[in-house]
Order: sequence, then structure tokens, then C-alpha cells
Amino acid sequence: MKKKGMSVLAKQHAAGWAFLMPATLLIFVMSFYPMVQAFLMSLKTGSSARLKWANPVSFNYTRMFSDKLFMRSVGNTFLYLVIQVPIMLILAILLAQLLNNKDLKFKGLFRTCVFLPCATSLVSYALIFKSLFATQGLINSVLSNMHIISKNINWLGNPGTARFVIIFALIWRWTGYNMVFYLAGLQNIEYSVYEAAHIDGANGWKTFWYITVPLLKPVIVMTFIMSINGTLQLFDESVNLTKGGPANTTITMSHYIYNNSFGQGVANFGYACAMSFFVFILVAILAAINLKVGDTRD
Amino acid sequence: MTDSVQTTTGKKNKSMTQRRLIPTYIFLVIFSLFSVFPLYWMITAATNKSLEVAQGKIWFGTNLAENFTKLIRDEALGTSMWNSFFYATVQMLLCLLICSLAGYGFELYHDKAKDKLFAFLLLGMMIPQVATMIPLFRMMSGGKLLNTVWAFILPQLSTPFMIMMFRQNSRNFPPDIMEAARLDGLSEIRIFFSMYMPVMKSTYAAAAVITFMNAWNAYLWPKVVMTKNQAQTMPMLIANLAGGYTIDYGELMLGVLFCSIPTMIIFFILQKQFAEGITGSVK
Amino acid sequence: MKKQIISALLVGAMAVSLAACGSSGEAGKTAESGAAQPANVEKEDDHTLSVYAWDKNFNIPALEAAEKAYQKKDPDFKLDIIEQSQSSDVENALTLAGSSDDYSTLPDIVLFQDHYINKYVADYPDAWQDVNDADINWDDFAAEKISFSTIGGKHYGVPVDNGTVIAAYRTDLLKEAGHSIDEMTGITWDKFDEIGKDVYEKTGKYLLCMDGDGNDLPYMMMQAEGKSQFKDGKPVFADDDTFKQIIGVIAKLQQDNVLYLANDWSDYTDQAIQGDMVAGVINGNWIIPTIEQVKDNSGKWEITSMPTLSGEEGYASNGGSSLYLTAACKKPDLAKDFLAYTFGGGEGAQATYDEALTKGGVITTFTPAGGSDVYNQGVEFFNNQPIYSQIVKMGANVKPVEQSDYHYPAREQIASAIQNIIGGADVDSSLKDAQDQVVFQMNSVTSEAA
Repeated sequence: MKKKGMSVLAKQHAAGWAFLMPATLLIFVMSFYPMVQAFLMSLKTGSSARLKWANPVSFNYTRMFSDKLFMRSVGNTFLYLVIQVPIMLILAILLAQLLNNKDLKFKGLFRTCVFLPCATSLVSYALIFKSLFATQGLINSVLSNMHIISKNINWLGNPGTARFVIIFALIWRWTGYNMVFYLAGLQNIEYSVYEAAHIDGANGWKTFWYITVPLLKPVIVMTFIMSINGTLQLFDESVNLTKGGPANTTITMSHYIYNNSFGQGVANFGYACAMSFFVFILVAILAAINLKVGDTRD
Repeated sequence: MTDSVQTTTGKKNKSMTQRRLIPTYIFLVIFSLFSVFPLYWMITAATNKSLEVAQGKIWFGTNLAENFTKLIRDEALGTSMWNSFFYATVQMLLCLLICSLAGYGFELYHDKAKDKLFAFLLLGMMIPQVATMIPLFRMMSGGKLLNTVWAFILPQLSTPFMIMMFRQNSRNFPPDIMEAARLDGLSEIRIFFSMYMPVMKSTYAAAAVITFMNAWNAYLWPKVVMTKNQAQTMPMLIANLAGGYTIDYGELMLGVLFCSIPTMIIFFILQKQFAEGITGSVK
Repeated sequence: MKKQIISALLVGAMAVSLAACGSSGEAGKTAESGAAQPANVEKEDDHTLSVYAWDKNFNIPALEAAEKAYQKKDPDFKLDIIEQSQSSDVENALTLAGSSDDYSTLPDIVLFQDHYINKYVADYPDAWQDVNDADINWDDFAAEKISFSTIGGKHYGVPVDNGTVIAAYRTDLLKEAGHSIDEMTGITWDKFDEIGKDVYEKTGKYLLCMDGDGNDLPYMMMQAEGKSQFKDGKPVFADDDTFKQIIGVIAKLQQDNVLYLANDWSDYTDQAIQGDMVAGVINGNWIIPTIEQVKDNSGKWEITSMPTLSGEEGYASNGGSSLYLTAACKKPDLAKDFLAYTFGGGEGAQATYDEALTKGGVITTFTPAGGSDVYNQGVEFFNNQPIYSQIVKMGANVKPVEQSDYHYPAREQIASAIQNIIGGADVDSSLKDAQDQVVFQMNSVTSEAA
């Protein structure tokens, strides 16, 4: 056995690379290669059949900063990010914490209920919320029956309420998903840690803040990155719930990029690619900050 | 699992604890209702007339049969269900195989070079999908793959997220097993198939749920590469129902219901393993 | 033991999946060819044409009617209709095919929005085949409709529907407010506003509604005045007095509860119209099937022409599409013959248009078709008015105005401006902003302007 040691090691080494090769190659061909292509396109202008080098080549990149609509879409996206992500993640942690109680009955049922929204497709759930919040839809009829409102609210017709509906829908769809991750993280924490804290006289809030949160940190960082990435690339909700309206006041970055690639008869793919790289850089920066802040191990 | 802690506590204590938990129950019940209500409404809507749906009727109606007749008359429901099922299943199986192999390779054979490569691959997650759509379409169109399962699955077969999930979970796979297997003369690939896979079954379950749902629900990309009626998927069918000058909401919601059932079934079946699989990935 | 069973199962599953992947090339292909086999055979077939179209309640029944009509001439004929969810799907398919410089992925014929076709012919000249030599008498169609599909002096498309604007009102509600439908014909917008106030006061319904996300209403009001938002390819609406007046009217109507601005298309059709919130609708006549959804109001509606600023009868057209031949079509003779025979006014035209009307509510701009019995029947829902022949006649009065490739961007920006103006912003500066934004979009390609 010993004699063969070297070759076995070499074999193992080769095996390791062989295992990760198919996936790596696929990512190179299906993600990185198109990304390079997209970058080259971001330096061009014109319809998709007749792309020409832009003059100057940075044209699309400078253009976006004078594009009021794009700036508004950036603002909207960050608004969703700043309001929705914290609410959703706090709710998710709270739910996970409650569900992690050993005395709790019907745990499985609650968990299933909370996770169920994730099983609906994006197109479907947008349609469901759109119908619920329609002018004569269910929400309005319930509210007016309870005499909370006197006149039907045009939820999706006003920028403020339309943004609220988007945030509300996002929270509905994704809280359960994140909760599963926290719940999983909590189950990795030994119960004895809590017992000890309890004996030391720490109350519920203190245990949560000084024990649960630090131990959950890696999970929190992961869910944060996932949520930031998801929110910055938010697309389906904007398209299917509000079509970016009224009058583009709820449009997101990805939606605006899509509109420039295909929609409205003004296919301007080079510009769309340039904006995509802007999003790419934003996501990368935020993810890096997140990792730095959250990194406790080394 | 933690029942042993409880065995010594008396009955009185138990009811005390339950009483203390009342606010928790109330909160959970409210949140569960919040989560389930829109789905309940989707189901009732599928049994109502379009106008009733638009006006927010909350109870079951009698129009289910008519909605169904209209749905199968207007749209190729069977074909779309089968296509979605076929594409999603192929994508799920291949994606699991490829990504688990990679996660296994990245974690259990890890060295500096592989760690760096992995970090680099993560960048692939961060570009909006629309940017790569035209280059990818060109590839598929040039390769004459339009309207085949390949065009549907290829861009999603290997995703940084899935690799990451398997890589994280692989930390739970004891290296001792590998050493023992090697001493028994098992080849590296045999170790993967006969040792790693069975141990990691809950990770596979979690990954299966996620990939299947993603593939089943995908709309933007499939719409671009599946250009024939015969290749239509469920989300495309729903979009067809939701377009046009006049929309029949009863019919539409029935379509939405059909589209939601398979993913829910998958989730129900694999629920327990799903939770365990996720647990492994956040250690 | 248990573990071994599970592992065996898992390996088995993977083996199956591997087998599936090995064969899924084939499986995929067979599934595709299994399903698509007829389609592949059809490709060789001299009697089949494929077409992209949207809306199963509107355009698709019209195409099915044409298929049926042409089968009289060629019993083996088949039209393979590939349903799209909306018009933009067809535009996207063109953009994508253009990007790979391979138009063979397109079907033989596409239904295409009139407002866009100019730009797509300019941007993708290789994607189309003209239909100039088809056996069609183009003068039989409304001039305004044909002006869209005639590009560089060549005919590229054959009209399907008709966008002629109708002003439909609830006669019962007008009566309740002390007015009548006759008062509504040939009136000024100011008078319209007054009547609208009465109607809202007495019945609680809006006399007019519009999708607040689009500027359909300003566009139609401008066209009724015989004007365009564009001049020589540039947007000029911010400096146009007529346009400013029109925007003023819209804002006033909204403030007086005469106009309900719906937040988007579905709010407009499903809530405002089908939800019975309105006493009047002004839009392209394709809105009729939506109005007819509310069965209880049958017999209570009537139609007439639009109000104008001066009080003359207003005629406009909004929306609509035509059929275009793509470069992918290998059987141009069959396609042209099919189009000429059916929608183009040939022997099958009457049958096509009559059935398109009864099954899909599609009205033509082909003037002779308006003479048929089907077109001249009184429509019960509209108090037995022969609305269809009336619409065809109104269509002939619509004046062509300058069109732009930036019709929809302009429409969107104007919609934003209206929202701002209603919110209290200054009219001049809001319109100026909107116009600048349109110019900004137009400058996307030529960097010299920046």
C-alpha cells in the first residue's frame, strides 16, 4: 500500500478536480462567457441586429447617470431593500425562535403553513396579490365592511400604496423561506446553552440577543446576501404586480433593464447590458461588505 | 427529540408552560393564516366566475366545471403539465448530480486553488439574468437547440448556489469514511456514489425541492427558447391566460392552481428531509 | 441495513437519471419531435402556415375564421396558430432572432402591433417580406389603417382589426342625470365635463375612464383634433397649445370626478368597466367585448363619436394590428394567397370578417365588409344599434396623423406627466420633462447628440 502512496495521492488529486470540472465548465460556458459577451455589448449601441461600437465607448455607462428613470428605478430598488429585507428577516428569526420551542405543539403544521407561500410560482403569487388588492377586490371590501375606509382605495394606482403592496407581497412570499434557514441554524445550537443561560438568570430577550443572534451569525450573513441579491435583481413582482406603474413609479432596476432590452419597441440592448453591470457591481460590493461585517471566524 | 428533558416535569408544570405559550400560539396562528389565506383564496377563486373573482368573493362557487372546460378548450393543459414536469425533472436530476459532485470535490478535496476557484464561481450569481439572455439565446439558436429540453436546462444545470449548498453540507460528511473506503480499495467515484450519496440524502432532498421549484416556475428564459406550441410550459400557459383584452379570472386562477399543485406536492413529500438538508447547509 | 437499502435506492435513482441524461438527448428530442413531429411534417407540407398571435378571445378567433374560410379553396390547408401571451412576445421574438441573425426561428406570419411595425422594419430589414404583389385592392381599407403597414412605399402587412374609437355611454344613467345620448354627439369637452358632473352627482358613476398608465386618452383626443404629438420625427407636445389644452381638460375631468384614472390595464377593464363603475367608455372599438361582459347592462349602452375641443364630431383610432410575412416563410405564394383571399378582401373575406366579428368581436377596416347582414344587424346589447357598420363608417373618417416609433415611450412619459399634474405639479414644466425624457430615449443610439 505504502509504495503506491504517491500515485494514490495523485489520483485523489485528479479525482477532486474531475468532480468539480463539469459544474465549473458549465458555469464558465453558461454564465461567464455570456457575461463577457454582455460586457462587449454594453460598449455598443443599436438594435440587436446591427450593434455598432458606441462613440465614445463609455457612452452607455455615462448615459445611465443622466437617465432619470434609471435613477428612479435604483431609488425604488433600494427602498424595497431597506424596508423589506430587515422586516422580513426579523420576522423570519422571530418565527424560527418561536417554532424552536420544545414545548410547542403543532410545530410541523405551523412550519408548513409559513413555508407554503414559497411553493407558489412567481407569476401565480403576483396574480393572486393583484386580485386581492384590486380596486373592488377583497382587501377593499373587507376594509369597507369593517368601516375602516369609506371609499375604495386604489392600492396599485398610487405610488405609495403600490410600493406597499409590493413590499407586503415580498414579505409574504419569502419570510417562510428564510425562516427555514434560521430554524435549521437554531437546531444546530445545543439546548444546554439555553439551559445554562436560563440558570444564569438571562431573560428571553437577553438570551435571544446575546446567544441566539451571535450563534446564528453565519446564517444571518447568508440570508442577508441572498436577500440583497434577490432584491437588487427584483423583477417578477414589479412586472406582474404593477407593471412598474403607475407611470413607472414602482419600477425596479431589473425591470427597467428588461424594458430596455426588449420592451417598448426601443430595444437598446447595449444600454441594458451596461446597466446590468452597474447592478453586478452593486451586488458584489454589498455582498463583500456583508461578508466583512459578518466574518467572525477568520 | 428533546422529550427526555420534559419527562421529569409534572402535569401542572406542563399546563403552566402551555399557558405561558398562549401569545406564541396566537402569533403563530395569525401568521399561518396570513401565509395560507392567499392560497385558500386562489382555490376558491378557481371555482368562481370571473366577475365574482374580480369583486373579491371569498367563498367557494359553482363554476369549477365550467372553468375547467374552458381551460382545456383554450389551452393545451395536458401538454403543458407534461412539458413542465419533464423539463423540471430532467433539470433537477442532472443539476443534483453535477452540483453535488462539484460540492463534494470542492469541500473534501479542498486546497487553496479550489477555494479560490469557488469564490470566483460565486460571481456568476450576481449578474441580472436579462443581461446574459441574448448571448445565451444566440448559443442555443446557433446550436439548433431551440425547443429542446437542452435549451431549457443548460443555463441552470450548474448554479453557484447549489454548489455552495452541497459544499457546506459536505462538511458533515466524515472524512474517516472516505479513508476507510479507500483502504477497502474503493475508487474515488465509487466512494461518491456508494458512501457520499446515501449519507447526504437529506441535502439531496432539500436541493431537489429548490431546483424543481425553480425549474417548474421559470418563465423568462423558457419563453425565449421554447417557441412552439408543443413545447409550452405551465407558466407560459398562465401568462397566455393573463394576457389579452379580457381576462377570465376564474379560468386563470384554476390554471394557477394547476401550476401550484406539483410544487406543493413535492414540498409535502420531501418536507422533513428538506428541513434536515437545510440544517446541514447552515452549520 | 436500512442505510444500504436507501443508498441502493439513491444510486438507482441516480443511475436512472444518468440513463435519462444519456438518453434525454434522445428523450428530449423524441419528446420534442414526438410532439413536434406533425409540425415538422407540416414544414414540408405545402398546405400549412404557422403564425404568432395573441389573445384567444380576440385575434385568435379571427385567424381561425380565416383558416376555415381558406379551407373552402384548399381543403388541406392548416393554420398553425402559436399563442403568445401579449403583443410584446412577438416583438421579443424578433429582437432575439435579429440578435442571432437567424430569422428561421420565426413562424411564417406574425401578428404585429401597428404602432411598432415601422421601427421593426427599419431595425430588422432582413426579417420581413413585403406583400406588394398580393392580389389586394388596398383602397378598400381605411386609409389611416393602411398608413401603418405601408413602409417606404411598399405594403408589408394585411390589416386584421380596426382601432376606430367609439364613445359608448349608458343611456339609462344619462337619463337619470337629466341628459340624453343625442346631447353627447358633437359636443365640446367643457360640455362633456358639465354633463359628467351631473352624472356623478346623480348616479355615482364616472362618465369616462382611462388606463392611467398609458396615454391612450390624450393620443385619441389629439387625433380627433387632427394633430400628432410628433412633428418630423421629434416630439413636440410640450410646446403644442392644443395638447396643453387637452391635458388641462383631462386634469379637470379627473378633479371633477368625471374621469376615473385606473391604475393599470386590468384595473381599467376588470374593475372600472366590468365592475360597473362607469357610465361611459371612450376607446378603440375592441373594448366592446369587455363592456359586454356585464350582462345586466344589456340594452342600456349606445355608441357615438368623440367630443372635441371645438364641438365637432371627433374621429380617432387607437390600437390594432396587422399580419406580416416574415423572412422565415418558405411559401410566400401560399401565404400571400391566403392573406389576399381572406383578410385582404378576396372571395373568403366576407366569411372571414363575418365570423371574426361573431366569434371574436373583431371589426375590420375593409369597407365593403361593412355591407354584410352580420355587420348591419342591430346589436341587442347596444339598444339594437347597428354598431358594427357604424364603426366601419366612422373608421373611414379618421385622419392619418404623423406616427412615431416612440409612440409608446411618449405615451408612458405623458402618463407620468399627467400623474404629476394631477398631483399639483406645473403643466408646462411637467410636459417639458416628459418631452425631454422622450428625446433622451431617442438619443440612445446616436451618441453624437449627447
